[in-house]
Amino acid sequence: MEEHSIVESVLDNLPVAVFAKDATNDFRFILWNKKQEEVTTLRAEKALGKNDYDLFSQDSADYFRSVDKAVIKRGKLMKVPEEIIETKNGREVHLRTVKIPVLDKETGRLLVVGISEDITEHVKSLDQLARLNRHLVATNKELQDTQMQLIQAEKLESIGRLAAGVAHEVKNPLALLLLGVDYLSGGIEPNDENVATILKQMRDAVDRADRIVRGLVDFSSQRSLSREPTELSHIIDEVLLLVKHELTKSSVKVSVRIEKDLPLVYLDMSKFEQVLINLIINAVHAMSGTENRQIKIRARAEALETVIKNEGARKREVFRTGDRVVILEIIDNGCGIAPSDSNKVFDPFFTTKATGLGTGLGLSVARRIVELHGGQLSLVNRVKEQGAIARLILPTKLETGKVKTLTNPTKEIDTQPGDLSVSKGAETQPLY
Amino acid sequence: MARKILLIDDEAGFTVLLKMNLEKSGGYEVKIENDSTLAVSTALSFMPDAIILDVVMPGMDGGDVQAAMQNIPRLARIPVLMLTALVDSTELSEGAVAQAGKQMVLPKPVNLALLLRVLNEILGPEPEA
Repeated sequence: MEEHSIVESVLDNLPVAVFAKDATNDFRFILWNKKQEEVTTLRAEKALGKNDYDLFSQDSADYFRSVDKAVIKRGKLMKVPEEIIETKNGREVHLRTVKIPVLDKETGRLLVVGISEDITEHVKSLDQLARLNRHLVATNKELQDTQMQLIQAEKLESIGRLAAGVAHEVKNPLALLLLGVDYLSGGIEPNDENVATILKQMRDAVDRADRIVRGLVDFSSQRSLSREPTELSHIIDEVLLLVKHELTKSSVKVSVRIEKDLPLVYLDMSKFEQVLINLIINAVHAMSGTENRQIKIRARAEALETVIKNEGARKREVFRTGDRVVILEIIDNGCGIAPSDSNKVFDPFFTTKATGLGTGLGLSVARRIVELHGGQLSLVNRVKEQGAIARLILPTKLETGKVKTLTNPTKEIDTQPGDLSVSKGAETQPLY
Repeated sequence: MARKILLIDDEAGFTVLLKMNLEKSGGYEVKIENDSTLAVSTALSFMPDAIILDVVMPGMDGGDVQAAMQNIPRLARIPVLMLTALVDSTELSEGAVAQAGKQMVLPKPVNLALLLRVLNEILGPEPEA
């Protein structure tokens, strides 16, 4: 008796759950220690003499029974790395169990003795670790994406710097060529029309090359903007006046809808006009194969829901979710953007236009200017209809009207691209 | 009497062609200086009515040359027209002449008609031969 109570007391003080079932008597429990009570939330009095089907769900009991039978059949220890039991209060307990077949020599009974370790906390930490790991992997991916964007942006910066140098070097020979053409133009043989044609074409070619080079300088110029509080409707009117000829020539209808009480935006008028002109002319060119050509210009204010990450953007996360912004869209019903081109449209010198029609700099210059304004420019296809949308997101002040009052002077300084005006080389600075 | 123009530009080919064009248009006597470090002495000996000055040059750049000439009273009063390939299209739209203070800047490639007009404005109408 004394020996028995010692064994019992040892069993009850073990940090593992210990149980034994009588395989010769329908696998009824004959041993149920304290830890087993704790793990299963079942008192020994309730469990002893019962089997798994009395205590657990059908599924669990089936499973336990199958393992028990296997243990008996194989006559050796079996490890169950993880099993889950659901306690009465609905809690899931994860157990690591070892089951051992034991022959009770005294009674001749065949027993299945089980020792279970509660690994619930361990499993939870593993889960949490896995979650953290997934999060880490996602963050890492995002970091890599950002890095790629930075590399892309840096590449564009390099092209810009290179461009300024190349532009200067190319302009000088162009200047020489043009003077040559000028000189010869004054002494054409009156009866040779070809000479006149050739000279005209040479002059046009020089002009074209010069335009490309100027575009390059625009692209690479890092001068600061002179921004003023501007009504978007005003600048749109001005621009429509400037491109009127182009629109009429191509029979393009324009509809403008600007939300009432749109906040003022801080713009460099002349630079921003260039952006809108570039975008509108692009839209017109894209609609050359369209029958009823139409450009819709829409502007509205909203609090930014998600921050778009621009590939190639120089300043990432210019905007934060919730920022009040003005969204200006130029929507055409043209040919849209081919999927294969969607990553390239903002690359300098990328163009789908015929030679001579576009330099491939319009969109890169436009994006550059918009970024200098602390904004974003994206170009996407329309979802339901044919055509593309050029979408500009521009930072704004919270209140409308009071332009002279800076609600947040610090922020105002931040949004001025003063840091960008520091020229890396004297080349792009005005000379006087 | 032909009006005297001094061309200071390190691009020899450009200066030769500009000289030809100006002389062909009539009424100009053009001298070329391709070495900017000699610009001041050439100006002193030639005493032009106007100077056409390139900006980016080895040795002394256009700014240096002009500063040096400003220190010599005889040269300081001569109008200087700067030519440069550095100005971009937003500063000088087609045919425009940038005028900051009294400094005139024309972009390269040069629009010859515009250059002749500007020279006329600087020098006044061509004297009767």
